[in-house]
Amino acid sequence: MGKQIDLLQGTLDMLILKAVSLGPLHGYGVLLRIQQISGEQLEIQQGSLYPALYRLEHQGWIASEWGESDNNRKAKFYSLTANGRRRLHSETEKWNRMASLIASILRTTSEQI
Amino acid sequence: MNLVARFRSWLKWIVKGRKLEAEMEAEVGFHIESYAADLMGKGLSQQEALRQARIEFGGIEAHKDAMRASVGVRWWAELGSDLRYGARMLGKSPGFTVVAVCSLALGIGANTAIFSTTKTILLDSLSVPHPEQLRVLRWEFPGDQPMHSLSGDVEQTKAGATTSSSFSYPVYEVLSQHGETFESLAAFENDIPEVVASVDGYAESVSVQLVSGDFFSTFQVNVTQGRALLPSDDVVAGGGSVAVISDAYWEWRFARSPAAIGKTIEVNHIPITVVGVAPPSFTGPRPGRGPEMFMPLSMQPIVDPSVYEGTSGKHEDGEVWWLAVVGRLKPHATDTQALASLEGGFAQVVKTTLTSKRHKDVERLRLMIEPGNRGLEKLRNELSETMRVLLVVVGLVLLLACANLANLLLARSASRKREWSVRLAIGAQRSRIMRQALTESMILALLGGAAGLVLGYLGRNLVPRVLHQTAPVHFDWRVMAFTFAISLLAGLLFGGFPAWQATRTDVNSGLKDTGHTTTGGRSKALVGRSLVVVQVCISMVLLIGAGLFLRTLHNLMHSDRGFQSEHLLLFDLGLPETQYKTEVSRAAMFRQLQAQIGAIPGVKTVTFSGHALLAGSSSTTNFDPDGQKFPQHNHAWRNIVGTKFFETVGIPIMAGRGFNDEDSESSPKVAVINLRLARALFPDENPIGKTFNSEHIRIVGICGDAKFRDLRMDPPPTYYTLYQQFAAGNSATFEAKAVVDPASLTGAIRDAVRSLDRELPITNVRTQDEQIDGTLRRERLFATLTSGFGVLALLLASIGIYGIMAYTVSGRTNEIGIRIALGAQTGQVLRTVLREAWWLALAGVGVGLIVALAMSRLIQSMLYGLRPNDPITSAAAATLLVAIALAASWIPARKAARIDPIHALRHE
Repeated sequence: MGKQIDLLQGTLDMLILKAVSLGPLHGYGVLLRIQQISGEQLEIQQGSLYPALYRLEHQGWIASEWGESDNNRKAKFYSLTANGRRRLHSETEKWNRMASLIASILRTTSEQI
Repeated sequence: MNLVARFRSWLKWIVKGRKLEAEMEAEVGFHIESYAADLMGKGLSQQEALRQARIEFGGIEAHKDAMRASVGVRWWAELGSDLRYGARMLGKSPGFTVVAVCSLALGIGANTAIFSTTKTILLDSLSVPHPEQLRVLRWEFPGDQPMHSLSGDVEQTKAGATTSSSFSYPVYEVLSQHGETFESLAAFENDIPEVVASVDGYAESVSVQLVSGDFFSTFQVNVTQGRALLPSDDVVAGGGSVAVISDAYWEWRFARSPAAIGKTIEVNHIPITVVGVAPPSFTGPRPGRGPEMFMPLSMQPIVDPSVYEGTSGKHEDGEVWWLAVVGRLKPHATDTQALASLEGGFAQVVKTTLTSKRHKDVERLRLMIEPGNRGLEKLRNELSETMRVLLVVVGLVLLLACANLANLLLARSASRKREWSVRLAIGAQRSRIMRQALTESMILALLGGAAGLVLGYLGRNLVPRVLHQTAPVHFDWRVMAFTFAISLLAGLLFGGFPAWQATRTDVNSGLKDTGHTTTGGRSKALVGRSLVVVQVCISMVLLIGAGLFLRTLHNLMHSDRGFQSEHLLLFDLGLPETQYKTEVSRAAMFRQLQAQIGAIPGVKTVTFSGHALLAGSSSTTNFDPDGQKFPQHNHAWRNIVGTKFFETVGIPIMAGRGFNDEDSESSPKVAVINLRLARALFPDENPIGKTFNSEHIRIVGICGDAKFRDLRMDPPPTYYTLYQQFAAGNSATFEAKAVVDPASLTGAIRDAVRSLDRELPITNVRTQDEQIDGTLRRERLFATLTSGFGVLALLLASIGIYGIMAYTVSGRTNEIGIRIALGAQTGQVLRTVLREAWWLALAGVGVGLIVALAMSRLIQSMLYGLRPNDPITSAAAATLLVAIALAASWIPARKAARIDPIHALRHE
């Protein structure tokens, strides 16, 4: 457990959008998928997932629908809306630019200045 | 961004909140169970797995709260529970709730009623299409009026200029032809005369608005029945005997019968045909005063012959200015263009029609244009002062109710301290406690507001009725918005402080059993004290207002009028022009009436006059003594009277003689002037025997000064002429001096008149005192309201003082016990308590005095015989308040002085 890292502030929304973009998921499924993709390296406070889901739905980026889960139980499935897809796209782009910028700053050596 | 989506989601929560709450619950449950199932797959027992899952999930309720917050409905959900809780708490103390709601309803209802009246009279536009296109014309002249006769609204500006909205008929004719920028220009009499109208033999007095033929088309008013008045009705003087009646008159005289159209009404004994009914929303060009009938200007000789009294009597006479002119601007035309299009023609016609030698500088008569969307402003100006004062008074009443309620709430919050403390102790935020307390106040405020709205609706016509205005008060959404707004404001005002107080609850001491803490108690007492000071302050303002108005009323009623109003019976009588065509026949009839009525047992003397005294009516003319080298263009007030006028109304003759039977149509014309006129124009010589106005009217006597138009006005320079010698009008007010109760003479007088002419109606029978009282309605209303509310304020303030002193004493029982045990005398303890009440009262009185002084400038013009900073009134109000304060705190003070030290020390 020691190698797990805490989520960066403000990235949970992006991760949820990404997780849902791969196919409709219920809340617990979102959690599992994020953990699965990250190779169990991200620590997400389980309960805090839901306010984020509700916020995203409130903003119209994801939509929800009640359906049947794998074990034949009623569950609420979230899927990405068209708006959400655009949002995910722009967020990803922003993140990549940011990441490469930060990376290039950190790579800088004294000779380069 | 995404505002629509957010709003839709929010609305979904508001509407389907209960279902969504259940779904939330199910979703969280599913998560925990799924996770537990996975954990069980790893080998944990079911119980252990569920426990583990719950722990890792975190605080379920906290997360659910966060979920609600993320869709923006947490606030809503909390409001719902606050409301439910608040309603339950209020339901638990019904006594408090009823008192609070009732006092608020009173305050808010009074404000609503006054506001709706104010709005109707001062703010509303006329109910006609596009009122913003309407313009009213007005003129200004530097100096005294340049025309011979001017009626309607006349004002003197501070710079000494005269301004009015009345024009002559020739001026109107020219204006209506020169207005290229106007759709049309209409004229109407700048007054609403009363006539005798008889329908099916039943005679009554109604008011008539004389209007030009294009009046209805200019205002774009569509009649609801029949047809409007047309230009073809208004052609020949004395012709066009048709009328459009008001909706109100149609209702009370014709019971809304369609048969009213085509019906004949005898107006001053001339048959008039009803051709149409005006819509209920249109009560004429003057808000607040609607006529019963609209008739063409051509009917002026029948409806209001007094307009051209003493002149040629023709509409062509340019010296008589009596018509208001209203125009409807063409779309896109500006005021400047409109004025420019009229000015040339105006200057021209003024020059050719105002030919009197007295004024050479008539070119300085300046035409002005004003917005006409609210009709003529005269009434507005008269009433706006009244309404302003009433608004202040009801505002103070609401403030008083708020202060009182805040006091009650403070007392309640003291008893709810434990409750707040418990809630704080188990983790409530202070802001939540404050919101809870505010929500309760708001429930009270809105309940009070709803009740106030009903009260206000019921009482909306009260003030107009007291002031004898006929305008229907419009009760619309703006009034409701106002009521809602002041309810919220009141809620914040009285609930704000107790709510803030609630957040300052000290958990530690609040949870202790006794709840007796020094700090909390002191701050509560401080708030309570400031509230008491506010109450005393409001009482002071209201009492000073009451004092000022009562003294004004007293001064007016006891001012020297210059004549004897006791036992004087008044009635109006008009001779129909058809039967009494000549001046000689009218004079003969008046003389016969005088003789017949004078013969009634119980009548001492009887006379008549053109103007009743102190009835708000008057006329002025020029008064130029003959033989002066430099005529000064003096104006004097004039009343045309019958013989025995001076002895009947009791104006003393100071020199010379009054009128007697030897003065007749054929004898030389005579006049009596009053002292003021004599002193002004004949300072160094004896006026008796002098003549004036080149008509060889000879002054035969000087009489005492008597008030003429109203009580407030000092006796103006006045002269009296004899009816027989200046027989112009056909109507007059008769004055009969009775030796018995004047009211008992009405029947005998009616019989006497009938014995001479069966058809002759006498109208408006009243005593002179009733006549005077009628002019004091506004003063009486103010005096009643301010003193009524002043007493209420006094009562509430004394309860407040009693409450706060009782609270202080009970909080200090221990301390006082110790003092007494240490040897303090009864008197000393008494003084300690009373001293505090004294300072409280003094502070309130001081602040109130300053506020009252600042506000009394508002009412300066309404006072009579005293200044707004009248020291007697202020001193009386202050003494009364301090005395009441001391009396109210006497009981707690005595209780303090009687504290038994042994009992008190065990008290804790």
